[in-house]
Amino acid sequence: MRKPARSPEVVRPALEHLVRGIVDHPDDVRVRMVNSRRGKRLEVRVHPEDLGTVIGRGGRTARALRQVIGSVGGRGLRVEIIDNY
Amino acid sequence: MTEASTSDTSAQTATDEPDAVDQADGETPAEKPSQPDTDLLIREGDIAADYLEGLLDILDYDGDIDMDVQNDRAMVAVSGSLQDLVGQRGVTLEALQELTRLAVYRGTRVPSRLMLDVGGYRDARRKELAATARNAAEQVREHGELVRMAPMSAFERKCVHDVINATDGVVSESEGEEPDRYVVVHPDTD
Repeated sequence: MRKPARSPEVVRPALEHLVRGIVDHPDDVRVRMVNSRRGKRLEVRVHPEDLGTVIGRGGRTARALRQVIGSVGGRGLRVEIIDNY
Repeated sequence: MTEASTSDTSAQTATDEPDAVDQADGETPAEKPSQPDTDLLIREGDIAADYLEGLLDILDYDGDIDMDVQNDRAMVAVSGSLQDLVGQRGVTLEALQELTRLAVYRGTRVPSRLMLDVGGYRDARRKELAATARNAAEQVREHGELVRMAPMSAFERKCVHDVINATDGVVSESEGEEPDRYVVVHPDTD
């Protein structure tokens, strides 16, 4: 059964949990909800050493995170991994 | 968290294959990694279950999580009607499996071949694909010409290879690049 899309307020901690579980520095994971004119997006920040893990080879892990979050939170919600320090 | 005791009695531990995560679906029948010890696989299941349970809690999804070890693999099954965690043709399930394997890897530092299922999706899909594979085998034997199947995920291709392997007169192999990799069924000329 398809459930109604979870609200961004629930999806944000869900994404934070998914990211914290795969990195070496879980305490440094920050996921922020940003409202812009183009819609809502979730910005993910991780410890620089974990950036490679969260993006994955060829963007594989980032794609997996987007797939799961898109599936539970609805297609309108974007996930952005912030990689500038 | 359940901590399985990690006794180091087993002589063969998992090998350090750099690409083991990529090849973890074990699609190629010939591929047989050295046997990982059961304690490690039990620990994999425990880590995976914690990770998934945390996700279900946050999303307020109802689901029971079962862990098992089969064919030298940790198997984790989430029961419940959770179509959102399966997605179209299992794409979300594959994504969640990939993340779960990474979570396991973080805990064990050993690439994981863990298989995740949600709502019995994989069993149902395996049955569908078995029927499709039998049809393809029939067609190949009847006409003596190869049949190219639709692009499939590594799990789906493995389901097809398993059926073809067990069928006389036909052989199969995978061709093409992900995500459009597909199975070709040939007449067995030997």
